Amino acid sequence: MGEVSAFAAGPFAPSLVLGAAGNGAGPAVSTGVSSGVLSPVLILVLCVVAGVGTYLLLPSRREGAVRKIGGVILLAAGLIFGATLIRAVAGAVQGGMSVFFWVFSAITVFCAVRVVTHARPVYSALYFVLSVLATAGLFVLLWAEFMAAALVIIYAGAILVTYVFVIMLATQSQSAGDAAASSAGEVGAIAEYDRVSREPLVASALGFTIMGVLLFVIFEKAPGGVLDKYAGASGAAVRAEPVPSAPAWTGSPAVAPPGDAPVMTAAPPAVRPVPTYTPGSPQALGTYLFKTQLVNLELSGLILTIAMVGAILIARRRVAVVKPAVGGPVRELKPDLGGRVDSSPASVPVYGTDNPRAKAYPET
Amino acid sequence: MTQLALQHYLAVGGILFAIGLIGFITRRNLIVIFLCTELMFQGVAINLVAFGRFMNNDPGGQAFTIYLLVIAAAEASLALGLVVLLFRQKNTLDADAWRELKG
Repeated sequence: MGEVSAFAAGPFAPSLVLGAAGNGAGPAVSTGVSSGVLSPVLILVLCVVAGVGTYLLLPSRREGAVRKIGGVILLAAGLIFGATLIRAVAGAVQGGMSVFFWVFSAITVFCAVRVVTHARPVYSALYFVLSVLATAGLFVLLWAEFMAAALVIIYAGAILVTYVFVIMLATQSQSAGDAAASSAGEVGAIAEYDRVSREPLVASALGFTIMGVLLFVIFEKAPGGVLDKYAGASGAAVRAEPVPSAPAWTGSPAVAPPGDAPVMTAAPPAVRPVPTYTPGSPQALGTYLFKTQLVNLELSGLILTIAMVGAILIARRRVAVVKPAVGGPVRELKPDLGGRVDSSPASVPVYGTDNPRAKAYPET
Repeated sequence: MTQLALQHYLAVGGILFAIGLIGFITRRNLIVIFLCTELMFQGVAINLVAFGRFMNNDPGGQAFTIYLLVIAAAEASLALGLVVLLFRQKNTLDADAWRELKG
């Protein structure tokens, strides 16, 4: 690891000054990851190598062997990066949490790479589910149980089901549509726009430039005192006991615990017990949300409602059926919203029209 | 002696964000493009929760992640509605089919 900086114990401004001064030549007091774990040269080399690997791995017209080579290169770069970091923290007392962090991060990053590089959209979505689950594991490690559950329910449950639904709807009707054009009989031929990616070189360069800059800033240029101070502060805290300096969200008159007397009885507020929840627990989060963020919470609910109404308005097909004159044919009024009524099987079937693909009107 | 710190979580978040960005640029399938934006959202969520955890267990990080999930859900529903609409027009999910929108 070479030199360790002495910024850890310092307050904010002096550590900034020291960081500007440069070479941490002080006594080796460091609680967190300090500069020197990842040298800028190593970050640069790893990002270049990973960029080349990603460029080879992205879907293109090359044969499979080249893409496999790219995958191996990318995997090697990731492993070297992870091993460098792991070696830096190997000696520390972690209480066994460190292993889970490395496992979950490896799964997350690997699945993210597969989301980007897999040619089939359904597989991309499924890898994304796996990535979300591993991220939920990381959230549990960060004492955010509610966020972990919400991530699994919302992302892996709700959003991804919608994605997979749309993907299957589109690809199915597409393969039905141009079955004659593509090689017939081959179930699930990958479409051309999935097989060939757009500007893989530029995208890899841009993405890994951003990644390199981010890693450089995180590991190297961040004033080590700032990040390490927080790491040392709460890393030493034990989960079971609450933080002694009572944070703001537990201070004021609080929620009565269940089974207590009703709030309206004339007990003075000072008598009421102030519950101190475990930091990061759903109780603490809920108390914080409903005490200090109430308007924002309601606004987010409003946003969700508006988005739902908007999505329905965008995606529906408006087909108005006019009552025919006596003996006349059924005529459709087709406003321009939502396009024409066509025979595409991907279109939502509309009851009661003479759309040839529409379902029969339920006669019940 | 070093230990697992904020930097590690920030690094994971940054890597996820960069990978999502690469996918957002390279992929041509409209649905996968939006999937990659969700990947970027996820990296940002890791950042927020990690900052909240390491800055004296402030619940603001988690609260902001809730808002992020709300926005992500709204974005996903609207985007998928738009994708369905676009797919009906041209019967393809290729983003290059809408090249004329470049102007």
